[in-house]
Amino acid sequence: MIEILETPPLNTMQDLGRVGYRCHGIGRGGVMDRLALMAGNALLGNDEGEAGLEFQLFPVRLRFNKEIAFALTGAHCDSRLAGRVLPPYWATRARAGDELALSSPRKGMRAYLTVAGGFDVPEVLGSRSTHERDSFGGYHGRALMPGDILASRAHEPFVFRDSAGHGAAPATEAILAARCEDFAEGEAVVRAIPAAEYESFNEESRRALWGTPWKVTARSNRQGYALSGKPLRRSALLEMRSHAIVPGVIQVPPSGQPLIQLAEANSAGGYPKIGVVIEADLWRLGQLPPGSTLRFVWCSLTEARAAEREAEAYLATLRRLAGYCRYNVK
Amino acid sequence: MTVNRDVTVLQEARVSYCGSAAVLLDAEGPLALATQERIWRLSEMVRELEGVVDTQPGMNSLLVLIDSKTGDLEALAARLRETWPTVPSGRLAGRLIEVGVIYGGEGGQDLPEVAAFHKCTPGDVAKLHAAPEYTIFAPGVTVGFGYLFGMDPRLFTPRRQVPVMRALGGGVSIAGIQSNLGKPYVEGSAKSAPTGWYMIGRAPAVPSAFDFDKNPPNLVSLGDRIRFRVERVEA
Repeated sequence: MIEILETPPLNTMQDLGRVGYRCHGIGRGGVMDRLALMAGNALLGNDEGEAGLEFQLFPVRLRFNKEIAFALTGAHCDSRLAGRVLPPYWATRARAGDELALSSPRKGMRAYLTVAGGFDVPEVLGSRSTHERDSFGGYHGRALMPGDILASRAHEPFVFRDSAGHGAAPATEAILAARCEDFAEGEAVVRAIPAAEYESFNEESRRALWGTPWKVTARSNRQGYALSGKPLRRSALLEMRSHAIVPGVIQVPPSGQPLIQLAEANSAGGYPKIGVVIEADLWRLGQLPPGSTLRFVWCSLTEARAAEREAEAYLATLRRLAGYCRYNVK
Repeated sequence: MTVNRDVTVLQEARVSYCGSAAVLLDAEGPLALATQERIWRLSEMVRELEGVVDTQPGMNSLLVLIDSKTGDLEALAARLRETWPTVPSGRLAGRLIEVGVIYGGEGGQDLPEVAAFHKCTPGDVAKLHAAPEYTIFAPGVTVGFGYLFGMDPRLFTPRRQVPVMRALGGGVSIAGIQSNLGKPYVEGSAKSAPTGWYMIGRAPAVPSAFDFDKNPPNLVSLGDRIRFRVERVEA
């Protein structure tokens, strides 16, 4: 059992999301950084899609009311378990009564807590993700609050070979971002595939998409990020019909300032789409705090698939290493 | 590409990638029931293909999502291009739901603006809006009554250039050639949301569109029809 002692609003339980319910207008949802969640589960020997807690606002404090193995992945917070500092991307065992404290990240934006066995909340439409807009799934369909008590499911008991637990290379270090010409130090780079209305933007705007920096504004959250930069213009202003969209789609409203729709995005929208960030780079966006600067790099389907395989290889390595670092007990 | 009342109308169907794990088919021609019936049919057909994990009809379009580990996006795009011209139309037997609407007033505060845009009275807008039967063409932005087709083209109203905040819950709104019916307000959820649509009325007794205590949880399906009844028009 885990008791939440302190949390700001908007921290939720999420898994890899709901797939197969778009006929009801229900989009995928789920975590903003899929790689961090899957890494946390890999470190514990869980199925890769077990739900975890997504912390995007801090400080957070919680207490383990019984002994349990857990992992912290994603953003690099100043994390302390019973006063001892925990490195990022670390799995260890909490004793009954231990408190875990997380402060605002020094690097990244969202931290993930996973537990051995996974959290014990019912699946709703095939997922344990909190659907914030319609208040279902996750922990009672809402964000976490102080006083909430979360249970974990039974699993095959194991111990870590090293009592301190073990770590792993953070995704940001293990998987290098794509290269981009003339980008500045500290700028994030994500790859994108041109979308249906790409050709309807004027040439200058198409060049600006790939060739200029984009600032992540304060109007950015799990639903999407509002960017600011050189306004993007279409050759002709035409009304769009409402159509289904996916996380990662870069829409351009009449202001010319793009929006990237993300995990909690509506399942449909009506703005023209200039491109779509590839699945394999969405996790990088999840770790960008407002104020960051990002660049888009043109990407082919082949490159997108290669990027996915790189992420799969990273997770496979984590699973293998984590397997060496623990053994099952009767 | 030509312009029909300022809406993009394609001469030929277009298939494009929507990122690395989805393909979007935009059908040719204007919004039409016969075309949309073909989209519903295509949606059901491709759901069965290997690697396809979900489909979602839009207004005159279909998004098909794959698991990129098992699906082949290029092959799927080719398949959609080939299959689309052969998909027949055919009517689903949709149910009819009647919903009472108070046009204008609180929650319908954009009615005067819409009336001014069309150079008519708020009462004229209400009458034009409530005259036809609307068909649920596509799922909406989240659970609810989806995107409706059937609005009188004389009410064509371009979306706002800058979104405004409008209350959620039973709102009747229009944008472009489309009209929406909002599901009832859910206690504890956001009270308002940004929108580029115009709120022209509210439906005080709108039924719940999605209820987990029911099986199936959805009250309406694609192809069902909605008729709006003018309860009254408020200044």
